[in-house]
Amino acid sequence: MTTAVLQTSSPAFTQLAPDNWKLAVVAGLGISIVACFALPPNLSFWVVGAMAVLVAMAFVVNAYRRHYYGGLLVSPAVAVLVVMNIFPLLWSLGLSFFAYQSSQQSIRFVGLANYVKLLTDDLKAPELWANLTNTAMFTMLTVSVQMLIGFLLAVLFAKQFPLRRYLLILVLTPMMLSVVAVGVFFSYYYDPTFGVISQVIKAWTGEQFILFSNKTGAVAGIVFADAWMWSPFVMLLVLAGLVSVPKYLYEAASIDRVGSWRRFWTITFPYIRGLLMLALLFRTIEAFKMADLIILLTKGGNDTMTISYHVIRIANEQNKTSEGAALSYLLLFVVIVLTNLYLYIANRRSQGN
Amino acid sequence: MKYKTRLKCFATALGFVSLMTVGGAMKASAEDVVLHMAVPDWPPTRIMKDMFDKEYKPASGNKVTLDVDFIPWPDFYTRVNASLTSGEKKYNMAVSDSQWLGAFIEGGYFRKINDLIDADPDLKKAMDGMHPKILNAYSTYPNSTPNYYGFPQFPDILVSYARKDIFCNDEEQKNFKAKYNKKLPCTGEEFDDVDWELFGNIGEFFMRKKGDMLAGKPADDDFYGVGFQVGKGYDFSTSSVNSFIWQAGGDIWDETKAPDGHAEGQVNSDVAVKALDHMLSFIKYMPPVAKTGTMDIFKSDELFRAGKIALNVDWVGLGEASLDPKTSQVSDKLVFGMAPGTRGADGKLNRTSQIGGQPFVLTTWNTDVINTEAVGFVKWWLSKDVQTEYSSKGGQSAIKEVYSDPKYSTYRPWNRTWASSLDYQKDMWHVPQFYDLLTQQQDQYDLAITGKQDAKTTLDNVAKYQEKLLNEAGLIK
Repeated sequence: MTTAVLQTSSPAFTQLAPDNWKLAVVAGLGISIVACFALPPNLSFWVVGAMAVLVAMAFVVNAYRRHYYGGLLVSPAVAVLVVMNIFPLLWSLGLSFFAYQSSQQSIRFVGLANYVKLLTDDLKAPELWANLTNTAMFTMLTVSVQMLIGFLLAVLFAKQFPLRRYLLILVLTPMMLSVVAVGVFFSYYYDPTFGVISQVIKAWTGEQFILFSNKTGAVAGIVFADAWMWSPFVMLLVLAGLVSVPKYLYEAASIDRVGSWRRFWTITFPYIRGLLMLALLFRTIEAFKMADLIILLTKGGNDTMTISYHVIRIANEQNKTSEGAALSYLLLFVVIVLTNLYLYIANRRSQGN
Repeated sequence: MKYKTRLKCFATALGFVSLMTVGGAMKASAEDVVLHMAVPDWPPTRIMKDMFDKEYKPASGNKVTLDVDFIPWPDFYTRVNASLTSGEKKYNMAVSDSQWLGAFIEGGYFRKINDLIDADPDLKKAMDGMHPKILNAYSTYPNSTPNYYGFPQFPDILVSYARKDIFCNDEEQKNFKAKYNKKLPCTGEEFDDVDWELFGNIGEFFMRKKGDMLAGKPADDDFYGVGFQVGKGYDFSTSSVNSFIWQAGGDIWDETKAPDGHAEGQVNSDVAVKALDHMLSFIKYMPPVAKTGTMDIFKSDELFRAGKIALNVDWVGLGEASLDPKTSQVSDKLVFGMAPGTRGADGKLNRTSQIGGQPFVLTTWNTDVINTEAVGFVKWWLSKDVQTEYSSKGGQSAIKEVYSDPKYSTYRPWNRTWASSLDYQKDMWHVPQFYDLLTQQQDQYDLAITGKQDAKTTLDNVAKYQEKLLNEAGLIK
């Protein structure tokens, strides 16, 4: 303990000590700026990286000597977050202000031109808008269907009945399958020549049924496949809420002869509301990013292109990296606004009660 | 003291690691050479890998191994593109669709091979012996200039796949003659002479409902006249549209005329609009999946192998599966012909067609040792014996010496059409903007194929987009 007390005084600014983080920050910044101007990009990148590590090390040593163990303990997590998450995010934000294509070696600063182009170009803006409205439509449809089915399934499985456990496993299976498998499965399910749906309808009408021949059919097919896959997820969350309701509340309610509707709203619902909101939030964020099923089922045909698929195309296939980055940030902005709106409403509700 | 010890420890470790790395690298360059190659996963590349492992003996005496990444077709572009543009420099060689050349050459990934060809008489001889249409499509950037980048891995063309049991049926022959006053083709030579008009007649004639008579028996399921690619993915409608436009005398935006050539006026010319309409007129004779915009080369092949289509036009590269009774219900009932063409005033068929198949390329980061071994491999690959063996196992060759051998046409039933089809092959753009051009065009064609937009509007939209994009890229002035 005594040695620890001795080391708590900070080193002077000019002192060359491993815990002098102030000096490290100034030196790191200085060297980084010089490197950026003096060295070619592929070298200066590593110099700046090394400087960032140096500053981080100074902070760590400082925390160790000053006994900021709390900070020290979270530092690995922070390091991982910075390297894997924050750095790429900032990097792509930076890229969105440049004209850069990953398949070409040139890069040029263009400021907000990428954003302006996406939002005002006479060919790109209508496409973006169409894809956004499609995404909104898919989000509303898939999430509401999943919430409804998931909720009903949860109510069903909250009761005890024979074979319940086995049925539960069966119902949960779609969620565990890979999206690719589900996509391939459904593309055959809907196929006019080989598909089950078409065969059944044909036995009736004599005509093959082409589900994907118009937008309504294509959207219905995609929504159904997505709901099939993700309703169990909603069910799982709601089920956790349902089984956590104490039995004695129901017993008290039945003594008071409370109607089943009222019993649901005053006893059950408060217990599952938080989980329902969580399921809604998760599914909305996921639905907003939907691209995989669409790529597998329609390839964006029949006006089913979503904004995520659009980003994949621009950034990964056409190699328009900076344009893709700009689009991703527009998308991120929308998602942040939406989720905050959600949380705001959710909080106000719970405070109101 | 403590710090010093640590520092020493660290320095020793560093020294050790660097020694190991240098040692490892030296060892590798002296004896073992590994050629890393990205290829699509299908028979033509599997056969190549197999032949390499069994037969290839490098002239240099080094131990050369070919480390091949077999990537499924639908992911192939994405994976190769990601590997190249991320800068991981993993592959020394890669199979590349010919349209990708410009994008990856401008990006600095694909190596120009003129110096290698000039330095090596054997390689020069092999390149000179190649069919010029194939050489232009697979190797040149800018398109059709003597700047070479690729060697053919598997050249591919479109052929007609037809059901002998149905076409040669006497009843069907008689009924067809009565209805159209034309002979229903039955032999391969007769299929060679099918033009789009007859193709349409065949399509209409063989539309049968379940229970209708088909070649003397009631059909066990709905049956369809014709099939070819009209899908939204990758280039699965562009390939068809291009052929129709070229055969009608129109053209797509021609990069060899840049920067003076325009997209507007050319892409949406009256001839092109008519050609697109002509193509769309066959969709009603195809299986209903065509109307959903997902009838790609794999789907039409699958439907044909399941016995649902009378006449299908598809790549040779997918042919093996149709001959195998395990994957094909029609394996013993097949006849092949050249892909249909448009009959001119002189009665001759114009068969200009979008070329398929792929070259493979060398990457720019290869060391001299790797390059030497890669060239050794390429020379072996393009040599007459190896190409002949490859063809006999189901591959194809663009080397004149190989395909003009009379035995060549006996290797596979469609090989009969090979040599004469090569003259008609033509490629789409090689410019770096190809994927951008392609996706927009595919989206627009999809609208036309699914009946949401007429041909004129479709091509107007395509032309407008291309004009703008290429103008921004400096390819149209």
